[in-house]
Amino acid sequence: MTNLTPWVLLLPLLGFILQGLFGKFMPRRAILTIAWGASGLAFVFAAISFFSMLHTAPAARLNDAVLYTWASSGTVANHVLSGNVPLNISFGLLLDPLSATMLLVITGVGFLIHIYSAGYMEDDPSFWRFFAYLNFFIFAMVLLVSADNFLFLLVGWGLVGLASFLLIGFWYTKRSAVDAARKALVINIIGDLGMMLAIFLIFQHYGTLNYLTNGSINGVFDLVTKGGVATGVTTAICLLLFVACAAKSAQLPLYMWLPDAMEGPTPVSALIHAATMVTAGVYLVARANPLFQVSPDALIVVAIIGGVTALFAATIALTQLDIKRVLAYSTISQLGYMFMAEGAHNYSAGVFHLTTHAYFKALLFLGAGAIIHSLGGEQDMRNMGGLSKRLKITMVTFVIASLAISGIIPFAGFWSKDDIIGSLLTQAVNGGGALFYVLWIMALITAGLTAFYMFRLVFGIFAGDYRGQGPLAHGHGSDEVTDEEHEGGHGGLYAIYEAPAVMTIPLIILAVLSTIGGLIGSYAIFGQPHWNIFASWLSPVFTNPAWTNLPVQDLSLSFGLTLTSGLLSFGLACLGILVAWRMYGKGFVYKESKNPIYQLLIHKYYIDEICIALIINPIKWVGRTASALLEGNLLDGGSRGIAWVSRGSSDGLRRLQTGYMRNYALAILFGVVLLIIYFAVMRG
Amino acid sequence: MHHAIPISWYLIVSAILFTLGTIGVLVRRNPLTIFMSIELMLNAVNLSFITFSSYLNSVDGQMFVFIVLTVAAAEVVVGLAIIVSIFRTRRNINVDEMNVLRG
Repeated sequence: MTNLTPWVLLLPLLGFILQGLFGKFMPRRAILTIAWGASGLAFVFAAISFFSMLHTAPAARLNDAVLYTWASSGTVANHVLSGNVPLNISFGLLLDPLSATMLLVITGVGFLIHIYSAGYMEDDPSFWRFFAYLNFFIFAMVLLVSADNFLFLLVGWGLVGLASFLLIGFWYTKRSAVDAARKALVINIIGDLGMMLAIFLIFQHYGTLNYLTNGSINGVFDLVTKGGVATGVTTAICLLLFVACAAKSAQLPLYMWLPDAMEGPTPVSALIHAATMVTAGVYLVARANPLFQVSPDALIVVAIIGGVTALFAATIALTQLDIKRVLAYSTISQLGYMFMAEGAHNYSAGVFHLTTHAYFKALLFLGAGAIIHSLGGEQDMRNMGGLSKRLKITMVTFVIASLAISGIIPFAGFWSKDDIIGSLLTQAVNGGGALFYVLWIMALITAGLTAFYMFRLVFGIFAGDYRGQGPLAHGHGSDEVTDEEHEGGHGGLYAIYEAPAVMTIPLIILAVLSTIGGLIGSYAIFGQPHWNIFASWLSPVFTNPAWTNLPVQDLSLSFGLTLTSGLLSFGLACLGILVAWRMYGKGFVYKESKNPIYQLLIHKYYIDEICIALIINPIKWVGRTASALLEGNLLDGGSRGIAWVSRGSSDGLRRLQTGYMRNYALAILFGVVLLIIYFAVMRG
Repeated sequence: MHHAIPISWYLIVSAILFTLGTIGVLVRRNPLTIFMSIELMLNAVNLSFITFSSYLNSVDGQMFVFIVLTVAAAEVVVGLAIIVSIFRTRRNINVDEMNVLRG
């Protein structure tokens, strides 16, 4: 098996360095050659690794390429579990079915977004900076998914957070973008802290940081089932890891940064905040599955948080008017689905939904970007409508993505979402009890809501009459002006043009993937996990012959129940679309509503206001009080006193320096006389 | 060795010369006069050296006198050069008006 992961990792890094250093002086063509080349070749290398893995026996689909030893303690760690083995932390790149899948998604969707960005960012003065950041993001994400130990996972984790900070705040002259970037960074750091604490605990109790045993280095996952570590400790590790996952994947209560992250350029929203970065948490839970398997309590927390988040975010998405915000909340909701699946022990369903979601959510965001681009920066649904007449390719692809996310047969989203909902019912039937029935019902409701808000969006953008004023002058940060003349009234619609081919081609590719991409896991509907190609492809990651005693969950469900569950979710999705069509089919009409529930939803449950009142304002108050009290007199007293003393004494001393020669001469004489008297008295 | 004149007389002359030189340095305004006063002080010290050399029957004092003479000559060279340079820039060499280094 060929492991080309080092190249997948290094090429985007090289692209980032080249553009970061010299991008300012390069013509656009050169920038695009480097950026597209780096991400495209990374995709090719990932694909080669993937196909060579396909030709390997399932048991041998594991390659840990250790590039160098980062730290070697030399001393012997006499540890209960690890035995007498020196601590080695190596920089290794792990290629197994899970990381191969992730690499394909990251580099594949990433490459398409690189292409699309060339059109979207065409007029931006910081063209080179954008592509440098994009390549840096790909590098960080590849490091995150292919690291073979927790330490380098943390490195990738942190760098991904940095990349998102840079890209959200890309238009750094825009106040709201800078605020959003800061918010994302702060919340991501909370997650990083959780992961760091988890790593400390892992090191303390398992004596190693590697995932899997490799040569003389022990693997955590191989030690998990040996016993000797209290379940409580493992649960604590899992929960701390999940804090990191919740921050990165925008789960309650750390989701607030993601809707604000829409301040960044739209390709960034597509790349980071929909398709790849936010899936890091889902990846981590799947990666650390042996730890989660031995602590069922942690998994239940994962499932509950996922379920509540899915429903919570879906209700907020019902009322939002900014098209990117609707998509942002739908991302949070879909991520909740993935965590629900993992909480129900069906890790492969989580990763499957991650993959299909990457296709259709990237497509939705890129489609929204194409619409925003055509309208010159307009994001408010109230000023859209009737665009189906002008943006044909965008409309068709956008509708396909909406069908996929709503879970309509046979689009990609149906198969993965059905897999998740089915596995919740499986848990409920197989002894999970009332909790999983509740989660199952929540998932079904969310499926209906998803279909409703997605088609509210579709009808709002494309159906009815055009309500806007024609393309705006570009409003996003740069001071460019559109070519089209600003026409008033109805004529504005005819000033709107489809995005260029460099933007529509990625849309078409993603639309194809959103249509057929789910078929690979389609047999899950028959309740036979081993018929699910995707699940059996990933199964070596979740079952390892070395992991004896690891609790294995029965994921099979009777055919009748699976079919019921699948048809229920499909039916609810159809119902949601039908309701949306009844309400908005003739065009979106915005009505100010005083209904308290509506007000609660449109203000996003007032979470931001509550956060400001309960967390931000007290912190600000502490800061202001401290600066008034402490800095004024207490802490600064000493340094100010020293300054006062030295200024006063030098004021006095400088009067001695008169500049007149005779004064110095007299002083010398005086000194000599004093010396003479001194010696005369002392010797005398 | 027989001394017709007691050593104290030499030392008194030396002290008087030194005092005169010191007063000259302190009260005169013309740097050339000040230089001459400094020479007077140095030579007063030289006289003491010679006296003690003769009194103690040792050549060390005479050695010192030569060193003092050499240093005094060098010092005058440097000092005169400075005075010439000051005169060229300020057209005035009154020491009471040279106080640009005041603190």
